[in-house]
Parts: sequence; structure tokens; C-alpha cells
Amino acid sequence: MASTIHDQMAAAGKVKRSKYLPQGVERLKEEHRKVVKDCRSQFEHWKKVENDYESLQERLRTLPDKLSYDIMVPFGPLAFMPGKLVHTNELTVLLGDNWFAKCSAKQADALVEHRKKHVKNTLDDLQKVMKNFQNRADFTDDLEKLTGDTGDFVDIREEVINEEEVTKAKHRLAHKANSKPKQEYLLDLEEDKEKKEGDEEGTTGVLSEEELWARLDELERQEELQDERYRLDSTDTNGEDTTSSSEEEKEADGGSDVQVNGHQKENGWVPTSITSQMNGTNGSHPEDEEEEDCDEEAGNGLPTIYFSHTAEFKKVRINTGKNTTLKFSERNEQKAQAKRKKKSGKSNGHSPHESYKITSPADIYRVFVDLVNGEPIPRKSILKSRSRENSVCSDTSESSTADFEERRAAFGRSWSHDDATHSDTSDGITEEESPTGTSPHTNGCFEAFTSTVIEKDPLPCSIPHLTIAPPALPTIPERKLEEVGPEAPQEPPKWMSKFKATRLHQK
Amino acid sequence: MAEAIHKKLQSELEKYQQMQKDVSKSMTSRQKLEAQLTENNIVKEELALLDSQNTVYKLIGPVLVKQDLDEAKATVSKRLEYINGEIQRYETLLKELERKSEQHREVLSSLQQEYQRAQAQNP
Repeated sequence: MASTIHDQMAAAGKVKRSKYLPQGVERLKEEHRKVVKDCRSQFEHWKKVENDYESLQERLRTLPDKLSYDIMVPFGPLAFMPGKLVHTNELTVLLGDNWFAKCSAKQADALVEHRKKHVKNTLDDLQKVMKNFQNRADFTDDLEKLTGDTGDFVDIREEVINEEEVTKAKHRLAHKANSKPKQEYLLDLEEDKEKKEGDEEGTTGVLSEEELWARLDELERQEELQDERYRLDSTDTNGEDTTSSSEEEKEADGGSDVQVNGHQKENGWVPTSITSQMNGTNGSHPEDEEEEDCDEEAGNGLPTIYFSHTAEFKKVRINTGKNTTLKFSERNEQKAQAKRKKKSGKSNGHSPHESYKITSPADIYRVFVDLVNGEPIPRKSILKSRSRENSVCSDTSESSTADFEERRAAFGRSWSHDDATHSDTSDGITEEESPTGTSPHTNGCFEAFTSTVIEKDPLPCSIPHLTIAPPALPTIPERKLEEVGPEAPQEPPKWMSKFKATRLHQK
Repeated sequence: MAEAIHKKLQSELEKYQQMQKDVSKSMTSRQKLEAQLTENNIVKEELALLDSQNTVYKLIGPVLVKQDLDEAKATVSKRLEYINGEIQRYETLLKELERKSEQHREVLSSLQQEYQRAQAQNP
């Protein structure tokens, strides 16, 4: 039985290869229908057999009730004779293959049960085959509709040019045993960060304000695209959210050449899933920045939508001081708000140029601040966990800033750590509060570089400028007092980061 | 030249058809064997359901011959093994035939091409 089906399929296949597509499809469908019909007839047959066995069982149960029955005995093919049915409990059963057995009615009943089981199995198999072929027939129907450009199917294509981009969207690969893609990504990030910072050091800081805003806008757009992609991926992978796990620091200045988007959508998706996903993403991001071209391609036989993604930023949760964790997007939004505020009028009467001259990494921290409760607050590095804020030995805690304040006051700068502001938008409250009126440029040069690597001696102590307290210093109060004097250069055996060295050089 | 090719083509075609018939014959006999296999399996299971109190008969021609239950079981098992062996044999035979018919098909197609070329050159 199975081999006949295979024969038919083989025949259909061979025929199809040699004919045109529509004819082939027709023939295929015909073969499918034939198989299904076959299955149905066999199904009918076996159903009849089962019914026969059922009635037989009934008869077997009632037969031994009487010792003998008066019946009409068939006599040849055309006649009957009255007679008696005796030995009602003794039956000779055909077991198959010319084997017989004498048994009682009850034993015969058991045998019939056993046979019925076989029949049921056969019926089930037939059902499965029928369903299978029905599905195949339906699928060929769908296929025909798809290729014939009827129905609601739309081909959506995205041509990916840059294949090197590595994203978090590649987490399918990353969840394999070797999570190499993720490491690659991290590697890229660090490399790029360093590269970018090196660049910034090299240039003499002619990032004009307009360029900066343009860059910010672009980054915002990229981030929105990334949001949408995350949603896509999360639906793909059933809500795996990898954003919360990442705590990589993302410099907000144009620092990220990080190629974040190797989003490689497969082009061979089943059409229904494509449409549903497209609808989903369209619903969630009406202001999507994707470029969509609806091309009606006659040659394709199917309406095709071409679109492409622009490169985006990864969304990162950043630990930004005082128990606030802003998403990258939120930070950008704040920037946008502040930008609008700023554009409406120069509120503080300062030229905005100073705050955007980024010559050293420290400038970053000065420039990019959060607006929390209307107050600009410096962003702490995300490498510093919140728990450290309350630790005694760390400078991240606000309690320890009191010591700093004293010392800073000693240097002629009345600026509480709390109010240390790096507003990129409301221009430089730093500038406003600077009583010394040091030029903003030099101010920028000598900002402390907040890194865990440096500075057992806090730089602000040694330089008569105001800087933000390096948050990650494990300084101890006694030690600070010791190093009040300008001693930074006098610790020769200590390793110094190149930024610090440059700074000291510039002094 | 074309005629010779034509004749060769015809003979090859006949051989191929013959081969196809052999294939189908073996196929049918194999199917029969499979049916017998399932049947004997059922008999074996049903014999297991019986006990020695029941008498077992075998139909040999028009005669029902009494058999011992255990003997019957043994006989049925032996028959099952025999059927399995036959099926294996037929399988290998079928594979051989298939392979040969494939070769033949290729020969046929190449001959056909030659013939067509000859036809193109010669008319």
C-alpha cells in the first residue's frame, strides 16, 4: 500500500520535471487528489470490516445462551432448510494462513478483540496518510497562489550590503554553545571606543554645535531602529530580552562607530509570517525611519517591498548616578528636550561653544549630563555600581564628597559635588558657577578623567581647577589629606594613563 | 547512419521496457510477501492467546489435519522467518533491477541525442 503511494508520487515527480510549471502543478494536484481518494476508499473498507467484527462479537455473546437454535440452514446457493444449531459454544476459528483452532465462544471473543486492534491501527495509519496528503495538496495550492501573484502575499526583501555588522540581534548564534559573536561584539566596542577617543585627542576640537546636534539626531534615529529590531527579535525568540543584561558603557558622543546591526533577515521567510511581523513592527513604530520602497516588480510576479535598515545604536542601560538608570533613548530624549529648550533661547547667556569642545575624554563627562528633576547631574560611569555609592572607601558616595568640597573650596571653587553639572544643553552651569572665570577651554582640558585606573591621588586636589570628583577612586580620607599638595607628578613608579599624561603635559 | 542509430535505439528501448516489467513483477511479489508476513504475525499472536485445550487444525487441501498447539506455533514461526528471508531477497533483486534500469535509461537518452543529431545532419 505504501509502495503504491510512493509509485504515484514518483510518477508525479517525474512528470512534473518535464512539464511547465502550471501543468506540473496541475498534475501534482491531481496526483494528490488521487492518493487522497484512494485513502478514503480504503478507509471505508476498513471501517466496514470493523463494523462486521462488532456484530460478530454481539453474536458470539448471545450464542451460548441457548443449547440449540432453530434456524433455516442454507442449502446450496439457492435454498434453505429448517434445522437446528447445536453445540453452540464450540467454534472453529480461522486464524489465518490455513490454520484453524477449536475454541469456545469467549475465547473466540478474545480473538476478535485482538483482530479489531489491528484494524484500528490500520485505520489510524490511513488517517495520517490522508491528512498528510491533504496538507500537501493545500500547500501546492498555496504555492500556486504565491507564484501566480494572486492572493495577499507580498514579497518583502531587504538587501543587506554591509555584512560585517555585528549586533545583539545575532543572539541566535550567540546562544549556541560558543558565544563567539557576543565576544566579538564586545571586542568591537572596546576597540572602537579607544579608537574614537584617540581621534578626539588628536583633533583640536572643532566639532561645531550644528554638527553635534546633527549627530545626536542621527543617533536617536538609529536607536529607534534598534528598538524596532529588538522587538522583532524578541518576538522571534520568544521574548528573550538581552538589553537588560548589558551594562556596557556607551559613550554618547559620536563615539560609536560600533557597527551594531548585522541584522540579517532571511529572505526566504514564509509569507504569512512576514506579513504578520511587518504589521507588528509597523504598529509599534509608526515613525520608523526605515526606508521603504514599494516596488511593483512585474518580472517577479509578486509585489515586492524593498527596504533597508540604517545603522543604529545599541540600547544600553546606563547607570547614571543617584539610582537612576536611563536608557540610552531616554538620555537622547532628554538631550532633545534640552536642545529644544536651548534653541528657544540662550537661557544662560553663555556661548554654547565651550561645552561642546571635546578634546579629552573628560569633556565627555562634562558635556553629557542628565537632567534629573530639572537639575543637571553628572553621569557616572556605568562601571560603577550603585552599591558603591554608599561605600565608605569610594568616592562615589555623596557623603564623601563633603571632604572634597572642603578642599575644593580651598581652591577657590564653591561647587558642591551634588551640583556638579555637565549640561550639554543648558550651557554649562559649570561656567556659571565658576568664580575663577577660567576659560572654558582650559577647563575642558583639565577635567579629571574618571577612570578606575588612575589616581590614588585625586587630581582635583593637585590642580587649582574645579573638576568633578573621580567617582571610582578608592581613596581614603587620610590619604587625601596627605596629598593635598600637588604631588601628582611626583609618583614616578606609578603607571599613568596616557590621558593623564597628556593632561599633565598640557599643563 | 541515422538508420543504424535508430535500430539501436529501438533495441535498447525494448530492453528497457523488459527491465521495467521485471521490476514491477518483483514489486508485486514483494507486496504479496508483505501481506503474508502480516497475516502470519496475526496467527502467531492468536495462537499465543489459545491454550492447549483447544485443538488446532491445518487445512491441507480439502482436509483439516489436527495439529499440536506447540507444533503449530513452531511451524508458524518458521514460516515467518522464511517469509522474511524471501523479502530480503526480493529487496536486493529489486535494487539490482533498479540500478540496471537507470543505466539503461542513460544509455537510451544518449542514443536519443545521437539520433537527433544525426537527424539534424542528414535530412
